[in-house]
Formats: sequence, C-alpha cells, structure tokens
Amino acid sequence: MDLSDLNSAEMQKFYSEEQQRAMVNEMVAKLTSECWDKCITGTPGNKFSSSEHNCLSNCAQRYLEMSMLIMKRFQSMQ
Amino acid sequence: MDSFSNPSSGSSHQLSAQDLKNQLKSQLALEYAQQFLETVGRKCFEKCVTKPGSSLGGSESSCISRCVDRYIEATGIISKALFSGPQ
Repeated sequence: MDLSDLNSAEMQKFYSEEQQRAMVNEMVAKLTSECWDKCITGTPGNKFSSSEHNCLSNCAQRYLEMSMLIMKRFQSMQ
Repeated sequence: MDSFSNPSSGSSHQLSAQDLKNQLKSQLALEYAQQFLETVGRKCFEKCVTKPGSSLGGSESSCISRCVDRYIEATGIISKALFSGPQ
C-alpha cells in the first residue's frame, strides 16, 4: 500500500463508516452524561431503581423528540 | 500482529489495507476508552467523594465500584433507547 491507496474507494468507505460510528458514540456519550445528571440524583446503588431506569430511557427518547421539534421549528422559519 | 509476513501484501515491508484499518480502529477504540474513563471518573468522584479525606475510605471505594457499574449500565440503556426507538 502506498500513499495514493490511502484515498482508495475502499479506504474512503472505511473512513466514512468509522466517522459514522464515532459520531454515534459521541452522541451516546453526551446523552448518557446529561441523562445521568438528570436521573441519578442519589448515591449509586447495586442496581437502578425502576424509576431511575425509566428516567434514563425516557430521557433519551425525549431528547430525540426534542431534536425533531427543533428541526421542524427551524425549517418553518426558512 | 505481524505485518511483515502477511502473504496478501506485495512486499514484506508494506502495510496492507487491512493492517491500516486495524491500526486506525485500535486508535479510535483507545481514544474512546480514554474519554469514557475520564467521564466516569468525573461523575463518580462527584457522587462518591464528597468530602476528600486523607485516603479513600471503604464506603467511598464501594460507592465508586457501584458507580462505574451503573454508569456502564446507563450507557447501555441510553444506547438501546436511542436505537430501538420508542416502545
């Protein structure tokens, strides 16, 4: 493999996939951080209570809904 | 990992595409792990070490262990909620 192969179609596909993966990981990491702060208010136990569990799950889903809402609102302003 | 005797590469000193991909993947995974550890450290220090003493007490240590487990679990819950969609 020489320098020109770094830009081959195969490598481009690879870069694109890895970039996607990294973006997804980053989103999960940020959301986990925020939702942890919102939902896990006490000292961590041996397992999550069902309300903590539901809060985390809801947190992620509400964030997605909110993102759609923001996009729609933004689009309606164009 | 020995890339010098890889039969699929032309010359015995060249990096194959697969080797490059593996190296890039490893690097990305390492960076991800470092960021994760940094975040867990921050969160669990906040939760478990509220009044730093002259050493980590037993209750602080067990709190930290539980905190790490819970944070990993939380990451899974968020991941699942994002990609399995609303129930």
